Amino acid sequence: VKKLLLHPWLTVRVQIGLGLVFIVAAVPKIIDPPSFAHMIYNYRLLPGSAVNAFALVMPWIEILTGAALVLGVFVRTAAKAAGLLLLAFIFAIGANLARDNAVQCGCFDVHAAEKTHGELLGEMRGVVFRDAALGLLVAQILASAGRTEPASSREK
Amino acid sequence: VSRRLPFVAELALLILAALVAAAVSNGIGPRERRLAWVRDYPDALTVPKKTAPALAPARVSPPASLPAAQPPKSGAGEAVSAAAPPEKAAAPHAAPPAPVREKAAPVPKKTAETPAPASPAPSGRDFTPHPDKPWVEIAPEEARALFDRGALFIDARRTSVYRDGHIARARSMAVWEADADDKVKAFYEEGHDSKAPIVVYCSGGDCEDSHQLAQKLYGAGFDAVFVYKDGFPDWQRRGWPVEKGEGK
Repeated sequence: VKKLLLHPWLTVRVQIGLGLVFIVAAVPKIIDPPSFAHMIYNYRLLPGSAVNAFALVMPWIEILTGAALVLGVFVRTAAKAAGLLLLAFIFAIGANLARDNAVQCGCFDVHAAEKTHGELLGEMRGVVFRDAALGLLVAQILASAGRTEPASSREK
Repeated sequence: VSRRLPFVAELALLILAALVAAAVSNGIGPRERRLAWVRDYPDALTVPKKTAPALAPARVSPPASLPAAQPPKSGAGEAVSAAAPPEKAAAPHAAPPAPVREKAAPVPKKTAETPAPASPAPSGRDFTPHPDKPWVEIAPEEARALFDRGALFIDARRTSVYRDGHIARARSMAVWEADADDKVKAFYEEGHDSKAPIVVYCSGGDCEDSHQLAQKLYGAGFDAVFVYKDGFPDWQRRGWPVEKGEGK
C-alpha cells in the first residue's frame, strides 16, 4: 500500500491537483485585492497596518506555490509552502471558530455573501476539514519526494 | 555538494517574487481594484460583539430637548440610540484627533448644496451635530426623513456595487479602495458645512464600511455623520428611490 501511495504516477497527479487548487484560490484575490483585504480584516487576527500588505502579497505566494507544483519545479519547497499556508488557514479559521466569530472564508470567492451566523460557522468547520485533507496531499508529495531524493542526489 | 538551496532561502525567494508581483499588479490595476499598501484599521484585532437585531423600527425616541453635544450616558444613551459608537471608536476626540481633523479646523464655507438645518424627524431626533462621537446610527425612517430634506448620502460600498444600484443622489466613497482618503479630502475641500447631516450607508447586517467611512469623515471635521446601519438592502426593500450607474 505504501508503495502505491507514494508511486510517482500518483504523486504527479497530486502535485497538479493541489497546484490547481492553489491557483484557482489565488485568482479572485489577485483580481480584487480590496475585497480580499476586507475578508482578512474580518478575521480580526492581523494588526490593522498589516492587513492590506498581507492581502496584496499572500495571493501571489499562493499562485506561485501552485504554479511550482503544477510545473514540477521547486516541488519540495512549494509543497512545504503549501503546507504552511494550509496550517495558517486552519489556524485562522479555527481561532475564529473558537471565538464564535463567524467569517466568510474568502478562500475561493472574495465577494461578501449574505449568510447567517450558523451557516458561516458550518462553512468554517467544513473549511477546516477541507484544508486538513489538502494537508494530506502535501504530506503525500513530501513523503514521495523524500523517497526519490536519494536517487536524485545520486544523479548529481 | 547539493546544488539545492536551503528551504528557507527558497521560501524567501518565493516571498520576494510574490512581493514584486504584488507591487506590479497593484501598480497597474484599475483604480478601484488598487489597495494602499499600508492603512491602519483601528479595530482590526477586535472581535465584533454580537448585537441584537439592529434598530427595531419602534425605537424609543430621544427627548426633543436633548442637547446634541451631551456626552453619551451609559445605558440611557443606548436606549436613545442603539447606535452610539463604542467608546473606543470615539477615542479620537478624547485623544488627539486624527491629523486630518486638525487640518480641518477652519470652518468650511457653506455651499448651495448644503441642506438647511434639519428640523426634528418623525422619531423626534433633531439630527444636530454630535462632535463628541464620530457617528450616530439612525433608523430607516430617519434616513428617509433626511433624504427628503436633501441631506447628503454617501455610499461606502465598493464602486462596482455602487454602480449596480445605490440610494438616489448618493455619492460613492468606497472605503476599501485605495483612494478613499483622497475622496474624503476632496469632499472636505468642496467646502461642505461640517455641521450639516451626512448619511453614510453600506450593505446592512454586519457591514462596517459605513462606520469606517464615518470615522474618516469625522476625522476630516464633519460632526454630523449619521450611519444608516440597515443600509442599501433595507432601502431597496422599502421601495425608496434608487439609481444605477456612476452617479456623482
